[in-house]
Amino acid sequence: MVQNLLNGLAIGSVYAIFALGYTLVFSILRVINFAHGAVFTVGAYLSYVLTGSSFGFNGLLRGQSLPFGLPFPLALLFGAVLAGLVGVVIERLAFAPLRRRGADPLLSLVSSLGVAVALVNILQYLVGAEPYRYPSTALGALPTAVNFGSAAAPVPIRTVQIVIFAVSMVIVVLLTYLIRGTRTGKALRAVSEDATTAQLLGIDTDRLILFSFFLSGFLGAVAGSLVGLSVSIAGPYFGLAFGLKGLAVIVLGGLGDIPGAVVAGLLIGLAEAFVPGQYVAYRDAVAFVVLFAVLLIRPQGLLGRAQVQKV
Amino acid sequence: MRRGTISICLLLATLLAACGAPSPTDSAAGGSEEATSEEATSEEASSPSEDGSPAEESESAAELSGEPIPLGVAVAQTGNVALLGQEQVIGAEIAEAFFNERGGVNGRPIDVLLQDTAGDEAGASNAFNTLINQNEVVGIVGPTLSQQAFAASPIADRAGVPVLGPSNTAAGIPEIGDYVARVSAPVSVVAPNAVEVALEQDPDIQSVSVAYAQNDAFSTSETGTFQATVTELGLTLNPVQTFQTTDTDFTSQASTIIGQNPQLVIVSGLAADGGNLVRQLRELGYAGLIIGGNGLNTANVFTVCGLLCDGVIIAQAYSPELDSDINAEFVEAYTAGQDRNPPQFSAQAFTGVQVFVEALIAVDDDQGLDSLELPELRTALNEAILAGEYDTPLGPISFTEEGEVNQEQFYVAQIEMEDEQTGSFTFVR
Repeated sequence: MVQNLLNGLAIGSVYAIFALGYTLVFSILRVINFAHGAVFTVGAYLSYVLTGSSFGFNGLLRGQSLPFGLPFPLALLFGAVLAGLVGVVIERLAFAPLRRRGADPLLSLVSSLGVAVALVNILQYLVGAEPYRYPSTALGALPTAVNFGSAAAPVPIRTVQIVIFAVSMVIVVLLTYLIRGTRTGKALRAVSEDATTAQLLGIDTDRLILFSFFLSGFLGAVAGSLVGLSVSIAGPYFGLAFGLKGLAVIVLGGLGDIPGAVVAGLLIGLAEAFVPGQYVAYRDAVAFVVLFAVLLIRPQGLLGRAQVQKV
Repeated sequence: MRRGTISICLLLATLLAACGAPSPTDSAAGGSEEATSEEATSEEASSPSEDGSPAEESESAAELSGEPIPLGVAVAQTGNVALLGQEQVIGAEIAEAFFNERGGVNGRPIDVLLQDTAGDEAGASNAFNTLINQNEVVGIVGPTLSQQAFAASPIADRAGVPVLGPSNTAAGIPEIGDYVARVSAPVSVVAPNAVEVALEQDPDIQSVSVAYAQNDAFSTSETGTFQATVTELGLTLNPVQTFQTTDTDFTSQASTIIGQNPQLVIVSGLAADGGNLVRQLRELGYAGLIIGGNGLNTANVFTVCGLLCDGVIIAQAYSPELDSDINAEFVEAYTAGQDRNPPQFSAQAFTGVQVFVEALIAVDDDQGLDSLELPELRTALNEAILAGEYDTPLGPISFTEEGEVNQEQFYVAQIEMEDEQTGSFTFVR
């Protein structure tokens, strides 16, 4: 019970920060950035290479590594910053040109899907498809597992899961502060409420859109690196499943709703963790069954507001 | 907002459906994994696969005369499966040079024609069609994967072209048709050896936990063999745990398995997922023995579980340590071009070519190759393959009437990690 709870919170917190990346962009542009799953993967590879680890033998960069290696926390941070910049480039390439032409948001969705496919293929070309693993020293001298039970009835939890939960929660708090407690956050909320009015009031919406893509990329990369740390980077496609799960989370939480994404992420993580052992292989379906069930009752999501149609 | 939500749900459903279908990327990734599940035994994780054909054909073929006999080798040279297909190419090229040096087919050289199958069924079918119709080969060694064999081998069977599967270990391969045989022993024969070794290492084993990737046909068939072996040995089989090859988080399964308090855990999955399960089991404190299925029989697994891979027991169909002349010569030829011992799938590809060469010699001795039209030659060759006995690097082999390989000796290796990324398979039997 305790074990399932902690397992669920750990994976759910990653879903949450990953989904926040979707949410940020959606709340500003009302478009889903399908490249978010790919950025998740890019971020994981970036922080992997920043730890000084080398690439394997199945891509253009075979055997290559940086001449230096950062400790994991720094690699995580800088990898996320770089992935944030990748997010900015995606905005410039896949979203901005269409937005300027006033294209249907559906077109942006498709162009971001194109970017996702391209990114994943570039990754495979560069680093191959083999799995990569962060150095085991990434978490320093921490033990591999912590016993939350007694010696007689152990409830071992992997340290990396505790780290994931802690880092994710810190990020949620910081992001909440950024959105609620700073001028930039206020501006973001204003743009999210009504971009045209915000622009008329002198808010530089273009800059804020870029900023939200940066933050989104940053969050995706943190999620990717943390998952990679926990289970190794399974290959260029490993963000795909998370991409879909993230979508389920934001729909469940209420599109564009930040607290909703956090609650929904944790909820889906917990729902998966409590799937009985012999049915665990079906747990991905659980996320979507939960989603479907909630949407039947609350089509606007858990915390989303029903939108009033203005005539 | 409501319309937006509904359209996103529809989109999600479409994407999920798309994910369920084997997309090219899926088949590439899954392909590599299945390839590993079937044949991989790389000795060193960090050693890149390089072309290691020991001698150019022209050098040795110079003493031979007559039209070269075209033999097709259709394996995965590109794509994710290439890691393994390249090892098969090396094995086949070594065999080509080796047998041509020894006189080919009664003085006529063999010409190994390589066709890339990539990692999917369509690629294998194309390669088979090209070899059969354009290159007019006498027979084909290939493809790399069982899933490709089910698509491509029927093409050869219908055309009356003998096929030898070098690394297809799933059930039902020889049953594809009269012209389809394999040199790779099926999982039902190889896998139980690992359980025997585990019992030798820890005779007190009573309780066994099993986990398998339920979305992978090969793992599902393999776990059936393992579970039957455990039951037959009178051991207690705990409730079986399942996962998907795409899963990454195995804390639920690992926690449940530890709660079952087993002395042995058997994992049938592929490299990334199986390796992750091993890692998470160890991190959560499991200290007993672990048997990995053939999916973990690859150096790719080293990067997933690192030092925690240490000690995983895996059954093998080939050992470089087999004491026979042909194996010694094969190992010598292989190590001349590579800085490591040959893995299982190089040995199996070599064996595939060897069987063809020796069967061709038998046909030539019996009927004379020149007296036969190509269709007759292919049929005679197929009969000769099934009738012959061969002393190969895998040990002595022969075939059943159906085309199943009879292999006498199997091996068991244990993973020994040197550092985080590098390890080797140490033979314990």
